[in-house]
Amino acid sequence: MSTAAERSASRKRAERQEQVLDFVDDRLGSSRWIRSALDKIFPDHWSFMVGEVAMYCFVLLLVTGVYLALFYSPSSAVVTYHGSYAPLDGQKMTQAYESVINLSFNVRFGLLMRQAHHWAANIFLAAIAFHMCRVFFTGAFRRPREVNWIIGITLLLISMLEGFSGYSLPDDLLSGSGLRVVFSIVQSIPLIGPWLAFTVWGGPFPGSSAFLERLFVIHEFIFPLLLAGLLGAHLAILWHQKHTDFPGPGKTEKNIVGSRLWPQYAIKSQALLMFVAMVVFGLGGLVQINPIWIYGPFEAARSSAGTQPDWYVGWLDGAMRLWPHWEFRSFGHEIANPFFPGILLPGLVFTAIYAWPWIDKRLFSDYGGHNLLDRPRDKPLRTALGVAALIFFVDCTLASATDLIGNGLQVSFELLIEILQYGSFIGPAVGGIVTYRACLLLQRGGAHPIQRPVGGIIVRDAHGAYHTLGAAHEEHAPGGHGADNGHSNAEEAVLERVGADREEAEADRAVRTGPGHGAEPVQEERQSGGAEPAVDEQGDQGGHHRQG
Amino acid sequence: MSQAPVPVARWRRPFEAIRRRALGGPLALIGVAVALFAVLSWAGPAQAGTPVRWTVPVSTKPADIKAGNVLFDLHCSSCHGMGAVGASAPALLSVGPAAVDFFVSTGRMPLNSPKAQPVRHRPYFSPKQIAQIVAYVNAVDVAHGTPGPGIPAVVAACKKQGPECPTLSEGDQLFLLNCAQCHDASGSGGMLSNGYVIPSLRAATATQIAEAVRVGPRPMPNFGPGQFTDQQVAAIADYVHWLSTAPDRGGLGIAHFGPVPEGFVAIIFGLGILLVVSRLIGNRG
Amino acid sequence: MTATKYPRIVTGTHGPEEGAGAGTPWPDDVPPDQDDTWYPLRDDPWRARRMEYLIAGLWGITAVCGVALMVVYWTGGQTQIEGGLLVGATGALGTGLVLWARFLLPGHDVTASRGHHVSSSQERAAVVESLSRGTDAMMSRRGFLVKKVLVPVGGIFGIAALWPLASLGPRPGRYLYHTKWYPGARLVTEDNRAVHVSDVMVDGLLTVFPEGYIGDAASPAVLLNIGGAAVQEPYGEQGFEVESGANGLVCFSKICTHAGCAVSLFNVLSMQLICPCHQSTFDVLQGCKPVFGPAPRPLPQLPLGVRADGYLYAKHDFYQPIGPGFWNRGGDNQYFPKVSS
Repeated sequence: MSTAAERSASRKRAERQEQVLDFVDDRLGSSRWIRSALDKIFPDHWSFMVGEVAMYCFVLLLVTGVYLALFYSPSSAVVTYHGSYAPLDGQKMTQAYESVINLSFNVRFGLLMRQAHHWAANIFLAAIAFHMCRVFFTGAFRRPREVNWIIGITLLLISMLEGFSGYSLPDDLLSGSGLRVVFSIVQSIPLIGPWLAFTVWGGPFPGSSAFLERLFVIHEFIFPLLLAGLLGAHLAILWHQKHTDFPGPGKTEKNIVGSRLWPQYAIKSQALLMFVAMVVFGLGGLVQINPIWIYGPFEAARSSAGTQPDWYVGWLDGAMRLWPHWEFRSFGHEIANPFFPGILLPGLVFTAIYAWPWIDKRLFSDYGGHNLLDRPRDKPLRTALGVAALIFFVDCTLASATDLIGNGLQVSFELLIEILQYGSFIGPAVGGIVTYRACLLLQRGGAHPIQRPVGGIIVRDAHGAYHTLGAAHEEHAPGGHGADNGHSNAEEAVLERVGADREEAEADRAVRTGPGHGAEPVQEERQSGGAEPAVDEQGDQGGHHRQG
Repeated sequence: MSQAPVPVARWRRPFEAIRRRALGGPLALIGVAVALFAVLSWAGPAQAGTPVRWTVPVSTKPADIKAGNVLFDLHCSSCHGMGAVGASAPALLSVGPAAVDFFVSTGRMPLNSPKAQPVRHRPYFSPKQIAQIVAYVNAVDVAHGTPGPGIPAVVAACKKQGPECPTLSEGDQLFLLNCAQCHDASGSGGMLSNGYVIPSLRAATATQIAEAVRVGPRPMPNFGPGQFTDQQVAAIADYVHWLSTAPDRGGLGIAHFGPVPEGFVAIIFGLGILLVVSRLIGNRG
Repeated sequence: MTATKYPRIVTGTHGPEEGAGAGTPWPDDVPPDQDDTWYPLRDDPWRARRMEYLIAGLWGITAVCGVALMVVYWTGGQTQIEGGLLVGATGALGTGLVLWARFLLPGHDVTASRGHHVSSSQERAAVVESLSRGTDAMMSRRGFLVKKVLVPVGGIFGIAALWPLASLGPRPGRYLYHTKWYPGARLVTEDNRAVHVSDVMVDGLLTVFPEGYIGDAASPAVLLNIGGAAVQEPYGEQGFEVESGANGLVCFSKICTHAGCAVSLFNVLSMQLICPCHQSTFDVLQGCKPVFGPAPRPLPQLPLGVRADGYLYAKHDFYQPIGPGFWNRGGDNQYFPKVSS
């Protein structure tokens, strides 16, 4: 194939690379690590990339956020606006609000950056939530990955706080109302509440002149630092433990099947970064978000209909609406109303989420380690509980929009709140039961509801070796898009055109990487007490896929 | 500048033209000063008395009143009673032209049933017919001795910027303190108790906004002259009109309902597109 | 520890002490006999060349968009054009990268061992030994130094180190019990106009402040004209009074007793005030008793007086703490006399 010229170019390139790598290795001794990094294998199921989406959102948040920080002024000094935006002309406002208005209207690319930052934050949290659901429903949090689950949940929590603190920085009417509610929630904590609120805000609401600076330090320094550090740990642990994978032919607890990091996976990942940037900047330029010039500067006497937080805090705002008018008073003290939905509920929810890996072990009496994922239907109880929690979350989120839903559907918010109050109990219960039944039915039926099963029939021959029958596995292997999965995109057309070569390669490959092959040296390994003996996995997975 | 204290004349075309020329030469300036003095001495007492300037005159021609009477008897009297004395719906003996013009021009009236919630529709009557009905009800009110608030003139009456002309900024401040709590800071509406829908202001004309402020179409409260001057009402109407016509600087407005639709777009379109992309980049597994 | 409670499980590894490869870790990478250099267009140079042109064209779009962005910047910037160009630039670059990776770069699935991610028993034992060597030296003779001295000293110093936190804000003191209303304070509007008894018509609503404290976050109040509407039974610890000369005017705190938003939606038909944040609904005719939503207490009423010249003033601060509840609020009765209704 290759010409003499190509060969010599390749040789020269290798020499140059060698010089660089020699230089590095002489100083760091890093060759072994670099080699294993370049050859590191990633199973690139599409749902594993959503965590990457979140990571790239974070990257974009840092880039746009630094740009914004160069113009933002966290000062609550009162100034009179005389700028290019006529409706605010002559109004008194804090310097913080003025700086955001100027950043939006007088700095070229400023509005784009601000909106892209806000959209990126919303998508960041959405990607984290999706990633968390993926990990939950597939059991990827199980031993040995409990620590990464904990770090991940901490990342979620800090991201929520980071998002809320950013929402509050412009000091507009919406963010001021949000801060007022949070002040009330902090103030409602028994015993220390008022003291804590006064300490954080530097005085009674709206706080001292130092408050915006504190918020700014928290938003642009402390939380990003924590996020970056925890994200680093999250990735390092992932790197060390290697990625989980769905069960399938040729996959065992001891091996990993996927493509190498270099070059294909790395390029794909960069492509993903580009697409995240495309969506974030596309929304940032074309769809308006948080038009603070319309909301006006914050004043305690003002308020606006449709006062809601960003979506990831919406469930708590909804819970504030759903919680009845109860508060408890005795012995001259009271536990105020906002404490229950504002502190107790998220406290319980996050405690449960943090503890989940250990709850899960108890529920399923499964203390063993796992590298292969559960299919959601195979753990009906976990799936049902997860769906119930999601329904509760959606119910609360809907409650935070009762005025808007009422306006749209011409239904009174009183009725909507009542429905959603009952719904927060009935919805999860019904949803959980339905999910549980559906899982059992799917287990029996075997067919995936939205796609044909992956893999083929695994048989064991007379010599005890395993073989995969059927075309599904072979179709599945190279690009991930089996010709039989109902998709016919452009690359598959190309794949068809090179069909002959491909078949040849497939045949080659099938011989070399037959199921037992990768796992060959580990046959004698045994688990000494786990619920799932490792050696039976192929048989198990074959059972799941016998339909194929 | 000698013009500063005499903005009364600003909205009158002839004086505008003179003023423009006046800037050209001192001779003309003196002429204008004399003319303005005359106008001032004429307009001064009028301003101090009834709000001539900020109210749109209502026809008192007998022909209009008669035509309005016919329309009223046909379309309104079944609920409001013959002669507007009230029946299943309230009497209209002191409502004034602003209320009639507001309810009819926004299509809220005529209403099929007096129990229904009046909401914005395409107007049932032509502008001319509306003017006739207004003239009729006004005549009834005047005859009853209780004329209600007139149709407020809005900022269009004020052709030039000046100290007397309301500014967008003034309207913005008043709107945020007095209106935004119900109608949303972006004027897109909301929800009141007992199932009353707070309408969006984006379809309303400036005149209708000003009328609603003065009249207080229930369940909305009213804002009388003790709270807002006529100029302030005009400022609010002007700002709301600006709010619904000014282009969105940031792109698509997505219903102007704030963080809820934003979150929806972020999840459905933002994350949705990225999931599809991930699906195309990654393997199905 | 789980390790002692449950049998030790070593997953995804085969420690050096077990199995054939004892002493040498299984290489944590792709076994050498797997060929993953195949890619879809490897053996079709013509199509591969076409794909290269396509990718180059896409990346060309990125360059064009980049130039256009500079032009847009130079000419003053326009957010929507900027966004569109960035979509073009990043989308084309990303699409090109995907096509490149998909069709021109090897990326076959390969299988590898997961290798180790846990240590062998010997290594663990060695760590325990190292640790206890040091710990023993520290603790065996001089345990008191740690237990009786270092721990308490560290605790005291730790608390001392937290002390500066107290500088962050004042103690709550009586801030939460009082507002800026004082006996005799005239009611003024946001633009500092004193409010006359005739200013607010029946079914009207006006936001008022104590004179001299416009914009204070705790003090805003709503002045309502309920006309001759029949006042109902007062509710709870709070009384309800309608000043006889006040022309039907009543005044309540604007700060919601639930979470502190400005309560100001006014439903004239049912005489209800509603909070836009969480839809707490207060019945004005019952002394702003909460009738729907999460608010637990009525809005405190401001006792109004009418001066001889017809201007309104406050007879007193609110009789209850305004706004949301807090830990010490339950004892408010000792500070606030009950109003006779």
